[in-house]
Amino acid sequence: MTTAPSAATPAEVTEIDASARCSLLLLLGSALLWLVVSGALALVNLVQLHTPSFLADCPLLTFGRTQALQETTFIYGWAANAGLAVALWILARLGGSPLRSLNWVSAGTVFWNLALTLGLVGIATGDAMSNAWLHLPRYVLPMMLVAYGTIAVAGVLAWTGRRQQMTFASQWYAVAALFLFPWIFSAAQVMLVFTPERGVLQALVAGWFVQGAWTLWLAPLALASAYYLVPKVSGRAIPSYDFAALSFWTLLVVGAWTGGRHFIGGPIPAWVASIAGVSCALLLFHYIVVGINLRGAFSGGGSTVLKFVAFGLGAYVLGGFLDALTAIRGVALITQFTYFSTAQSQLALNGAYSMMMFGAIYFLVPRITGQAWASSALIRAHYLAAIIGTIGLVVALAMAGWVQGHDLNDPAVTFAAIATHTKTWLQIATAAQALLLLGNLLLLGHLLKSAASSYLAPANATFRQPPTMEASVS
Amino acid sequence: MKNGFTFFLGLFLALAMAWAGIVLGSHAQLGHLAPYFDENEGKAFPERLPGIAARGQLVYQDLGCAACHTQQVRRPDFGSDKARGWGDRQSVARDYVSQPHVQLGESRIGPDLANFGARPHAVDADRLTQYLYEQHGGMPSYRFLFETRKITGERSAIALKVPVSAGMEVVPTHRVQALVAYLQSLNNVYEYPEARPVAPVAEKKEGASK
Repeated sequence: MTTAPSAATPAEVTEIDASARCSLLLLLGSALLWLVVSGALALVNLVQLHTPSFLADCPLLTFGRTQALQETTFIYGWAANAGLAVALWILARLGGSPLRSLNWVSAGTVFWNLALTLGLVGIATGDAMSNAWLHLPRYVLPMMLVAYGTIAVAGVLAWTGRRQQMTFASQWYAVAALFLFPWIFSAAQVMLVFTPERGVLQALVAGWFVQGAWTLWLAPLALASAYYLVPKVSGRAIPSYDFAALSFWTLLVVGAWTGGRHFIGGPIPAWVASIAGVSCALLLFHYIVVGINLRGAFSGGGSTVLKFVAFGLGAYVLGGFLDALTAIRGVALITQFTYFSTAQSQLALNGAYSMMMFGAIYFLVPRITGQAWASSALIRAHYLAAIIGTIGLVVALAMAGWVQGHDLNDPAVTFAAIATHTKTWLQIATAAQALLLLGNLLLLGHLLKSAASSYLAPANATFRQPPTMEASVS
Repeated sequence: MKNGFTFFLGLFLALAMAWAGIVLGSHAQLGHLAPYFDENEGKAFPERLPGIAARGQLVYQDLGCAACHTQQVRRPDFGSDKARGWGDRQSVARDYVSQPHVQLGESRIGPDLANFGARPHAVDADRLTQYLYEQHGGMPSYRFLFETRKITGERSAIALKVPVSAGMEVVPTHRVQALVAYLQSLNNVYEYPEARPVAPVAEKKEGASK
């Protein structure tokens, strides 16, 4: 428990990686496809913010619906598929044996994505629910839960069948995410959709679900990949590793309590928001330890993997501090109900989660396909688009939110005036989102090319040394 | 972490604690909240949504109106909610007990609608229907909620007064009628006992005890 992950022997690596190629590529391919769809929807959504008449005559794409569609596609399409692929692969590698029940993983992936597609059609045609992160219509939810179970079971088997008793931080985060999501997801389904709570309790359950899905599912998935990649790529042990366990349990125990910060001043018991504020402050311990543990990512030399992970970690820690800051009443007075909250969630999702996943994808795809990435120019282009796009999107939305917040607090400023004041920032955000979409398209194309070539020209039998596979943009 | 069972138990307890604290805790506090019966008025508040308004709430939900509009008023000294005429008192949990689909909302790209039907300068149904047909303020038009059809016999009584080619009329569909009825039913001005103390003005208290 106090040792950083060590390098596996080459023989194990090839066997574990090659056997999972088909299932993991299916998950990753679906993930990136959804990421591109989500990016396109986000672009439409942002254009509608400064040009409300854009596609207004299309009932499938009202502003509210494009927002629900892009959020759902991002979380259940991109984040879920990519996170599952990375978590399964890490658990197999650290467990030391090839993944079992891979047919179930593939079948689960197909059903998960079918259910999601059906759900998106449902949202576009008027069956959407009004809960954040849970807009999916009721008829696809049970199917998604079962499909998730069939995928995740491979991860749990890899954990229970691991060759050594000792476990690593990366494994804790991956197992926690795989194990906890079905509980959160099913509890939210029951309490919001099938037997809904009364009155504002619906909003409270929804708030708990959103925060739980982030702190107990997506954030651990991202951290699992970061805790695996940083020591692996840099070749250095994790500093202050003894604190990693405490940081892990802090996130799990305290994290879900922070959801109430969105309800400051709202019609819910005041203690919910107060506890959320205190929890946000407690959670800073977790962010600080993660920053210290994984600081090796920031001196990763020319490794693309570490560059993505470092950006993701920076965004993750910054997001934690911003959460704590906006949980203070005086700050919430300005940022509540504005684009600033949108900027915060984009910082977490695009900035932290996606970036750490990109790092993991650049690391694992060459290993499962047995071939290095086709083009370093494409990697460089994606890296630049992702970094500039994310920074532009988050900063522009935050600035728009700050302006909007001050304007909202001044009753003399009309909504038309607020729209004028924020227009430039929203246009910048739109441009940034377009860049982000372009970058993600490049990654999708690159992955498809690599996957195709791995099937057309099967990997040579000799194991290639990791450094030759390593993507580099330096 | 060597012991798998303890690890999973720990994970489960961490999740259960937050769930019990936030969900069960607030359920214990608010789960039994009932409408407040006012003997002077002879009826209970909040009132149930009329059938057409309840259908309108579903339209509000499926179009995603909550993406731009909140339905929660903050107390007068926190934000400009009162000054903007969205409500004299803060919203309280009891305001929502009769609503099947609560939509507090998280974003104020447009105004708060918690008391839309009770505003001092309330928008009448015809004008509101017109707003939804034409672009109004920053809100896009929702023309797909209307039917443009040939006038057969007499012009429909509910046809909109908008420029349209000769022999044609624009009529609101049932969905937009329900939506308008819902928006007009939004009225949370009744002062419950728990909503009173937050009003900082002294005469407010006397007014509320009527």
